[in-house]
Amino acid sequence: MAGKIIADQIEHSTAGSLDTSYVVNGSAKAWASMTGAGTASVNQSLNNSSITDNGTGDYTLTNTNAFNYADYATGCGSQWRRSLYTAAQTSSSINFYTTQPDASETALADSGSTGFSVTFTGFGDLA
Amino acid sequence: MTQTPEFKGTHLFDRLCWAKENLEPVQTDYRVVYEDSVDECAKILVPDPNWMACALQGGILPPVWVPHELAKDEAQPDFKKHTRGYLLHNTEPVEAMTEKQAIEYLILKDCPQSVVETWDTGNKPKMVICRKEQLPQTREWRNAWRISDELNLAA
Repeated sequence: MAGKIIADQIEHSTAGSLDTSYVVNGSAKAWASMTGAGTASVNQSLNNSSITDNGTGDYTLTNTNAFNYADYATGCGSQWRRSLYTAAQTSSSINFYTTQPDASETALADSGSTGFSVTFTGFGDLA
Repeated sequence: MTQTPEFKGTHLFDRLCWAKENLEPVQTDYRVVYEDSVDECAKILVPDPNWMACALQGGILPPVWVPHELAKDEAQPDFKKHTRGYLLHNTEPVEAMTEKQAIEYLILKDCPQSVVETWDTGNKPKMVICRKEQLPQTREWRNAWRISDELNLAA
């Protein structure tokens, strides 16, 4: 590709230097932000081909470029759900859900009346 | 229209980064509704807008048999890590697709094989492509959503 820079280190004028391997290995290789209100939709993402709305608080994200291993590192967050759990994970997909939302959270999700958002990040080596 | 660089041999992730920088995301109105268990509610597959932009652009995504091959490898009991990732990067990318072709590709890639193979057997379809306006507009009773028994399928 045009504009390629090959470097093993980058150096800041005052803050020191850093191996570029830190940047390459430490960057998220897949991420997504989606809205669960009404019909689910993806707001922003990278390396994601689809989300599947499996039911209340239950989603599956599928990657375009699979990870090398099935146990890559993940992080999930939610606007107001307190606990998100990874239910199943393969090298190219992750299923996460919340097991025991309290009553108000379930009501909000079911009504679709709020900006219910879920975020996901995946770190690891790609296939 | 933005010209896709010659990407065969370029790491797929690099292509996706190029696409994110150069292509406008495409929010499709299509949704794929499917049922893969009689005991569970209907599931709704939503195409990713950046992925859809790649599919419509062409020259970026690998053929759908490539992720299938990787999935076969992963299904082996002794699977530890992928050793054929090069298929993603070195296989000739697929040409530009129409929105309909992109949805079909995504069904083959991301829907369970059991649904893809048996969707039209039984008393009613197990999978339907629809527009998002045809789905309930709120998530009320979400865990009870099913594909209607009185579905009027378009030809």
